[in-house]
Amino acid sequence: MEKTNIIITGMGAISAAGTNLTETLDTFQRGQVNKKPVFEHRMSTLSLALCAVEEALNKAELKKRIEDFRVGVCLGTTVASQLNDVDFYHSYRSSGKAPMDSVDRFLKGNLAQAVANTIGAKGPRVTVVNACSSGADAIGVALSWLRNGECDIAIAGGADELNRIPICGFGALGIVSESLCAPFDRDRKGLNLGEGAGILVLEREACACKRGNASGNAPRLYLAGYGASADAYHLTAPRPDGTGLEAAIQRALSEACISSQEVCFVNAHGTATRDNDKVEGMVLARVFGKDIKVLSTKGFTGHTLGGAGGLEAVFTGAALLEGWIPASAGFVNQDDEIPITPVREKTSIHGSFALSTSLAFGGNNAAIVIGRGA
Amino acid sequence: MNIFGIGVVFSGGRGINRYDDALRHGWIKPEDSGYHVKEESITDKRILGGIRRADRFSKMAVLAASDAVVDSGINFNKKKSSLGIIVSTAFGPHVTTFRFLDDMLEYGDRNASPTIFSHSVHNAAASYITSVLDSRGPTITLTQFAFSFHQALILARAWLYEKRCEYVLVGSVDECGTVMEYICRQKLRIAGDGRIKPFNFSKTPVAVPGEGSVFFLMTLEKSHKKYCEITAISLNDKEVEKNRPDMFILDADGIAGDEKEYQKAAESGVCISGYSPIFGSMMTGTSFNCAAAALMLKKQLHYACLVSHNPYNINLCTKTEPAQIRRISCIRYNCGGEKAVIKLTV
Repeated sequence: MEKTNIIITGMGAISAAGTNLTETLDTFQRGQVNKKPVFEHRMSTLSLALCAVEEALNKAELKKRIEDFRVGVCLGTTVASQLNDVDFYHSYRSSGKAPMDSVDRFLKGNLAQAVANTIGAKGPRVTVVNACSSGADAIGVALSWLRNGECDIAIAGGADELNRIPICGFGALGIVSESLCAPFDRDRKGLNLGEGAGILVLEREACACKRGNASGNAPRLYLAGYGASADAYHLTAPRPDGTGLEAAIQRALSEACISSQEVCFVNAHGTATRDNDKVEGMVLARVFGKDIKVLSTKGFTGHTLGGAGGLEAVFTGAALLEGWIPASAGFVNQDDEIPITPVREKTSIHGSFALSTSLAFGGNNAAIVIGRGA
Repeated sequence: MNIFGIGVVFSGGRGINRYDDALRHGWIKPEDSGYHVKEESITDKRILGGIRRADRFSKMAVLAASDAVVDSGINFNKKKSSLGIIVSTAFGPHVTTFRFLDDMLEYGDRNASPTIFSHSVHNAAASYITSVLDSRGPTITLTQFAFSFHQALILARAWLYEKRCEYVLVGSVDECGTVMEYICRQKLRIAGDGRIKPFNFSKTPVAVPGEGSVFFLMTLEKSHKKYCEITAISLNDKEVEKNRPDMFILDADGIAGDEKEYQKAAESGVCISGYSPIFGSMMTGTSFNCAAAALMLKKQLHYACLVSHNPYNINLCTKTEPAQIRRISCIRYNCGGEKAVIKLTV
């Protein structure tokens, strides 16, 4: 296997925290959480993805040069993978007939395929459907593609729209908070759903150098490692001892060839649900020590499901470049069962590596290490 | 990468030996409107006892995956992290999704079943596979409609080369419920006689919906136990016909529409076959044809085409008989005319 550095040459984000990365960082800087727990613009998953892809491609100065390279597209989602149109099904149930418009839209709307077709990418394309770790796992798949020479450049991340089905489903599970979510807080009452997309442009270093990527002398980000593991435990609850998540983190660190002490902060999954935050907090303290700088950005964005891993990877990379992380919105009171304390205010960070974690239904765990070069 | 084990669940039953029997037996008309997996094929309490709540979609996947592990003869009890799992699907557990919509429509948004919701996500099947096998390696579910299985193989190969895991259980699962059958009737020409005709190369081919699951246990290890090696997975490779295999298996099953492009491979003079008439029309049907190819390479045997309708007088494989075969290529086109090829070598 060829040892190759995978550079992050572009990032794009759209969520309740902002319609691009500049707006998002401004929101983070001001610590301004939304008055409502959802993104109010209500866009389709594909529109959200394309918005973030366009921003990322512009940053990478790649938008007009897509066809010059083997560009792969790997995106995670939940909503866009399901044929779950309520009107279509209601019509079928009541009359045994239904118009095919929504089916046609679905068949043309495989997220990775649709994005690839829109931007003219000719490389591999696949949609990852690993529930809430989909965006992070999609980045991991892209990393594998690049290392194995399947493509020179990969557009990777995740996107999801707000949709009645997950709103109803998560409501039925009893894990949705009516008020703003409070990750890791003693009095947390559950998650807020949100929508959005987070996209990275990943590139083999040789390709970035060859095409004269315009980052010039600015510090470069790179995707240093990805780890994934299965809990083999339960369809919706994380393994209580956290060994699944810990294994994913250790694999990501190992792949990045760094120790846990070299990680300067963790962008946690932090959904603000009782079980998830407890397990994640325990594992982060075990691996990094209880003083590790931790935040969850879900107080700003809500839980964007298949988009979350992509958005949080973008936020992690941006924080490494900026040298600060925002306050973990919503956190007020320490939970005695959670040994870590999320940052309560905008906090400077000093270091070259950060970790983003994702946990999902099905017991999927994913961790991504992002590095900042000189 | 080498195929060490195969598990199959299809309308004709369960297990690679049952699939072999069905391929030898010849075409049987499906009992109802499609090639449905019979309930008795997915009731193994020894394997499914701990996952009683799982839906048909997950059960088909779990049984095929478990059987592939058993077939490989590898004991993973002490190597829980060495096994990666990649599940490919075109449509996911849509029957369960529609059950959840039933709940919403009948009882209101606030009273829908959380259990049904949690089973409606695409990766529920993969989760159950990890539980049953107690596997702790990387696990991914992916979808790319007609090329879902191909993309799963590409990722499996990458994981093995990267040493992300020593073994990968990679497969496909798709189901056919009443709503999907309705959609198929609206979008496709359904064969009135239940007979898919893979060698008609029609612009408006006929289809018969199918369902099932196939899993392969893959590794880079070499061993005499292997079925065969997958030497290439290529998408839109125009050079593929220049490297003539001993057989082309055409995935023509009517589900992607226009099948004229398959004629190019057929006109090459290479022995042609296709086994969709045994498992039905499925976007992930390539995995079934790959299982047939792996069996033929292992047993050094041709399986006769199950439907030998041959209007173009091409070189069809018409007899089940011993044969010297080294290379088989499985070809699939999607509805956009893109081509994917999987090359299997002895």
